[in-house]
Amino acid sequence: MQALLQSIGYQHWILNVLLLLPMVGVVLVLVAPERWARWLTLVVATAEFVLALGLWWAFDSATGGMQFTTSLPWLPEFGIHYRIGLDGLSLFMILLATAMMPLLVWGSWFAIDTKVRGYYALLLALKTGMIGVFVAMDLFLFYCFWELLLIPMYFLIGTWGSANRLYAATKFVVYTFAGSVMMLVAIIAMVVLVGKGTGEYSFAYDHLVQNRDLLAPWAPYLFTAFALAFAVKVPIFPLHTWLPDAHVEAPTAGSVDLAVILLKMGTYGFLRFAIPFFPAFALSAPVAAVFVTLAVSGIIYAALVSMVQPDLKKLIAYSSVSHLGFVMLGIWGGTVESVQGAIMVMIAHGLSTGALFFLVGMLYERRHTRLLSEYGGVARVAPLLGTAFVIASFASIGLPGLSGFVGEFLILLGSFGRYPVATTIATIVVVFAAAYLLRAVQQVFFNPLVGAENKAMHDATPRELAVLVPLLAAMVWMGLYPQPILRRTEAAARRYVETVTPYLTPGVRPPVTTAAGDAP
Amino acid sequence: MNTIDLSRPTGLMLALLPSLVLTAWSLVVLLVIGWRHRTEADSRLAGIVSAIGVGFAGLATLWMWFSDIRAAGVPHMVYLDGYRYSAELLVLFVALTTCLLSLRFMGRQRLLAPEYYALVLFATIGMQLMVSSSDLVLIFLGLEVMSVAVYVLAGYDRFRRSSAEAALKYFLIGAFASGFLLYGIALTYGATGETNLVLAGRVLAGMPASTLAQVGLGMLLIGFGFKVAAVPFHMWAPDVYDGAPTPVTGFMATGVKTAGFIALVRVLNDGFPSLTDLWQPALAVLAILSIVVGNVVALAQTSMKRLLAYSSISHAGYLMVAVWAASPAGHMAVLLYLWAYSLTSLAAFGMVAAVEHVGARTVRIEDLEGLFRTRPWGALSMSVCLLSLLGFPGTFGFIGKWLIMSATLEHGQVVLPVLVGLGSLVSLGYYLPVIMAMTMKPERTPEVHRQVLVSKAGKVIIAGAVAAIIFLGIWPRIPLDLGRRTVESMTNAAVVAAEQP
Repeated sequence: MQALLQSIGYQHWILNVLLLLPMVGVVLVLVAPERWARWLTLVVATAEFVLALGLWWAFDSATGGMQFTTSLPWLPEFGIHYRIGLDGLSLFMILLATAMMPLLVWGSWFAIDTKVRGYYALLLALKTGMIGVFVAMDLFLFYCFWELLLIPMYFLIGTWGSANRLYAATKFVVYTFAGSVMMLVAIIAMVVLVGKGTGEYSFAYDHLVQNRDLLAPWAPYLFTAFALAFAVKVPIFPLHTWLPDAHVEAPTAGSVDLAVILLKMGTYGFLRFAIPFFPAFALSAPVAAVFVTLAVSGIIYAALVSMVQPDLKKLIAYSSVSHLGFVMLGIWGGTVESVQGAIMVMIAHGLSTGALFFLVGMLYERRHTRLLSEYGGVARVAPLLGTAFVIASFASIGLPGLSGFVGEFLILLGSFGRYPVATTIATIVVVFAAAYLLRAVQQVFFNPLVGAENKAMHDATPRELAVLVPLLAAMVWMGLYPQPILRRTEAAARRYVETVTPYLTPGVRPPVTTAAGDAP
Repeated sequence: MNTIDLSRPTGLMLALLPSLVLTAWSLVVLLVIGWRHRTEADSRLAGIVSAIGVGFAGLATLWMWFSDIRAAGVPHMVYLDGYRYSAELLVLFVALTTCLLSLRFMGRQRLLAPEYYALVLFATIGMQLMVSSSDLVLIFLGLEVMSVAVYVLAGYDRFRRSSAEAALKYFLIGAFASGFLLYGIALTYGATGETNLVLAGRVLAGMPASTLAQVGLGMLLIGFGFKVAAVPFHMWAPDVYDGAPTPVTGFMATGVKTAGFIALVRVLNDGFPSLTDLWQPALAVLAILSIVVGNVVALAQTSMKRLLAYSSISHAGYLMVAVWAASPAGHMAVLLYLWAYSLTSLAAFGMVAAVEHVGARTVRIEDLEGLFRTRPWGALSMSVCLLSLLGFPGTFGFIGKWLIMSATLEHGQVVLPVLVGLGSLVSLGYYLPVIMAMTMKPERTPEVHRQVLVSKAGKVIIAGAVAAIIFLGIWPRIPLDLGRRTVESMTNAAVVAAEQP
């Protein structure tokens, strides 16, 4: 496979094609007759996924550096280039984003019946933005992709969302823009600072990371600007309020994209930019304490709110806050295991929460309500949906043998040495996750079957199964055999840890074993 | 490079070629108006003839730019460098667009007085003089020529009281501002004995601090502050922008602002380089006030034109930040930001003019609701314009904001760029509801957008502007290259001093 891919020069063009193809799709969808829109999108999405799949084999897991790089001059006089690349941190985000794409199209096949053309065009445009954020290796480019994502998402929520959509769409954009506007100032300031120090004005990620010592005097301000942008996206506890609104009001595909990819942009941002640029400040004891406290507060808070949520979609949205709290804990854990665990949770959360949002969308299409109390005993009339929901919930809770467990376990293992108290609390709260999700499962699927509408529900259609089965299969596979994924993320995680270790506040180091199990 | 001697009349005539072309042509336009002035078709004829004249003036400017005509030694009366040519082109572009956008609008609003176009040309001549003059007296002359024409234009809608009110208000406050400016010029002359900017700057640098010059500088700043509508000298802007016929509003928001800012850059950097410590803080205060007041008050607006007026006040604030930088990067930021802002605003006002109901008091935001359903391209164009004003990546407006931020950050100044960022954050609060009204809300009544009329010329202009906003936002190399070379070619005191040992 590798030889085949190499023979077609795969590593040279793949990322460019992945970025370009959805934009071509946008044009096609807009130009072609409206009834073709779904099919065209499906074709483009599938092609995109098949192309991206090659990354799995072509990716060299031995190196922690950037692969598949391209660098073309964009505004060379200002040090701005079209620099893209990918490493173990971003590989799976790309795979996840492209793999979700056909599922999203299937998932919205009948649910979206108005302004179909615009909907699919926006869905495709969103994809370019997402992939762009994860592959951009030039901060100017990164900022452009980061902001451009807002537009399709804004229109997706605002046009195809449910009742309160205008409020949710505005809140989403205002929060995200508020977070990132200072990031732009920080990026330019960094370029100027490094430029004055080295004589080379460049927005290149590598150039800035190498000369990060020049940024040290300004690190508190610059880091705050970056952290604010990413913290809103994650979302970290007090900045999370846009998330339930956006999730609940967005159409199913929008919620899924939000959960699977957009939230990860925040944690990815910390891993890729905020911490490697300013490790000394970001990992200093007080700052780390703030972030770990917020992460744990988020885990607890979201779990508590979820327990009393009457709205199923909101419940799942809050569970995202909880999961992402784990990721933050893993990132600040600063060991190879915890970082790998963070990446694993990012993937696992994408799979399980994505599946849960799809399932909520399917239930909603049948009953037009998301209130838990309206449902009851659905498993009896829709056993397939019930089974899928139960598996996805278990994966989300972190049951061993399913996707969620691996990452959470690694994070707890890797972070315990440095933050024993926080980790212990987080471990205990995992039980809460079981409580709220199982409550929902019981209420919707297993209580007595009441109400004529519930009795009249039909089971999953083949189209819906086509959406769910790949996700469920991936959850099981990831839970049982995470080795291939861990192997591919390890080098990047190790590289990240090596960059930040000198700056870590001393803590009790756990014995160094790698997640993959081999000796250090 | 062709150098010409500005101390001789022929040289000066050549240096003023674009203005002379337009002056001669506006006399032709007056003749045409005298000949035909009764029907809508006559009015359109005058408009088209005027547009052609503006085109000729533009060609003259381009010719001068391409043959790289430069002044030998001190630029007497007018500058001859790329900065002037590009600014002059911008002013002419604004005039051309205004003429074309007015063609249908004036007929639709029953404003059948073709003198309108002659006035636009007169105002443009004034603007040309302002962006090119290197002499305080000529700046004042240009300012007056421009202002008097624009006072009349603001009151051109005879059927509406608000238009007359706008004209009167603009005239009274404008006259007041001109007084300040003239007084500032007189004091500067008193302190230095020169009205030429470069010479005055040289004298000032060589003498001890003079109160006379400092007060003069303050007066000049106040005068310019009024003209570009910077807070606290902005009070007239919302009413005048709201009351004036929409194409005139676009003309004022872009053309007058361009002329004011380009002249301000020259006056401050060539005339008062030794007083930088004095005018930089003053500009910072103006910038901060404009950004804060403009953006915050815009949040409360319900009328589209008032909203754009306050937004234009905040943009004056951003431009002040760029002028503050007082460096080549800053000059370039001023120029490109003006281009970006003018392109965007003209397209936006073009759309507002198209939506405007005949005889309506103004265009409210809710009048735009559901526009996307009947006029998808119009609504999308307007959205792109608003995003560009907001400074969203992928639009030309973003490039402008980025240049302003870099120019100030290079000075180690942090407060101003942060404020620019926060300003665009607040502006999200009023641009977004407009986009939302157009694309996501339903129409008030089924017939509401039946009247929307975009003329052919309007379509071409708006589509062209939007395409340019997006294209230049993604691929800004051409304007950036041009801008850089333009700024490098700037005649300034240092260059002149080097040439004349």
